Amino acid sequence: MIYTYLITAAVVLVSMLIQGHSSFDVIRIAGVKPDLLFVITVYMGYSFGSFHGEITGFASGLLHDSISNSPLGLMTLPKLAIGFVVGMFGRSVLKGNMAAILVLIFAASIAKGIITLFLCYIFHQGMISSVIHVILPEAFYNAILSPMLFFIFDKIYQGELQREGYL
Amino acid sequence: MELLIRHKSIVTFISCTLFCIISLSVQGSGFTLTFEGIISGIFSPFQKGYNAVQGGTSRFWVGFSEFDRVKADLALTRQKLETYEALDEDLNEIRNENLRLRNLLGMKERIRYDSIPGFVISKDPDNWFRTLIINRGERDGVTINMPVVAYQGDTKAIIGKIVEVRGSLSRIEPVISTDIKIGVKLGESKFPGLLTGYSHNSNLCKVDYITRAAQVKFGDVIVTSGQAGVFPPGLVIGTVVKTELPESNPYQKIIVKPAIDYNLIDEVFIIKKNPDKDLFDMFEEMQ
Repeated sequence: MIYTYLITAAVVLVSMLIQGHSSFDVIRIAGVKPDLLFVITVYMGYSFGSFHGEITGFASGLLHDSISNSPLGLMTLPKLAIGFVVGMFGRSVLKGNMAAILVLIFAASIAKGIITLFLCYIFHQGMISSVIHVILPEAFYNAILSPMLFFIFDKIYQGELQREGYL
Repeated sequence: MELLIRHKSIVTFISCTLFCIISLSVQGSGFTLTFEGIISGIFSPFQKGYNAVQGGTSRFWVGFSEFDRVKADLALTRQKLETYEALDEDLNEIRNENLRLRNLLGMKERIRYDSIPGFVISKDPDNWFRTLIINRGERDGVTINMPVVAYQGDTKAIIGKIVEVRGSLSRIEPVISTDIKIGVKLGESKFPGLLTGYSHNSNLCKVDYITRAAQVKFGDVIVTSGQAGVFPPGLVIGTVVKTELPESNPYQKIIVKPAIDYNLIDEVFIIKKNPDKDLFDMFEEMQ
């Protein structure tokens, strides 16, 4: 399992760099970047259960908050919650076909966006227009990328998934 | 103990949720800042390292691929320099005359500020916040609330202000951020207003509290008013692209396109101007 943690840490760091560095601004479509850290969180919950989903969500969220201008916890809590909830269903319930992954990531992204907006209203500054300008475009972008990313992650975690009996 | 281990995912979830809620509730306290500072401190060398490698490789490649273009640019720049050198004499004469007339009118002398050049090394990784991280920090003399300008072609404009300073890094809150508030005025008619970001994921700004009597046209320039003591007066922010006159509102709202595109900001200049303390304290107290 140490191998899984190390690989996950590396994947999270690389994703953080891709999302944060200005030279990767080409991935921005209509002003929106995909939330790669969130896709990783959902994948971990989906493949390895609630515990791994929430730990990945918590760690990547903390990293996200420390790099971003957001108050510490604002990006962490939604990732943590979604990682936990997705892990409760996991691969055993949601079969790994493309449509299921698309719907899963889209729905999870919307849920994450709504939790973030709710937290923004309470702890920062919320704007309902964010649903149109941020939540929906980001959910579409995450969903479009998810089959490819899930395929790559399946390859990376092949050994662990075989041990779990999913492959 | 066995119960905790058996239900470790629920226990972890509750603990982490509590941590997040407490952290959000006490945001701005020493604990939160220190914790963020530690993680940011660990991660910043990677950012700077990557930036150095990427910048070096890019410059190395440009050396080969764009040699002809650079030669042509050099010739053009030399030509421009000759023109500007001739202009400099005229400008000095005008400056002296302006100073003399200001003295005659008893007006205060316009203060000139030094600036610190810097490069953007990172941007906010999410779509909810729009900040920029630059490679200049406390060690270079940067302090919180210093205004930041950038150039795009011949255009010089305000792009934001410093909101966080660490050893060799600083964070800029750009004018398109919904968290920023800047006192502005219309370039020609001088009607004042308050500028802020339009929405979380937009590259536009909006100006509120412009009186309905103000005649606002498409393309009007918006400049800093210098009130609140953070930004020097008269610096360009952007141009008007739309006005809204809601029936129920005594003010009109203006949508502004910043002169410098947020996505193209690369090199910045931090103006070494600390906020006018008395004014700034007064506004902070009011907020």
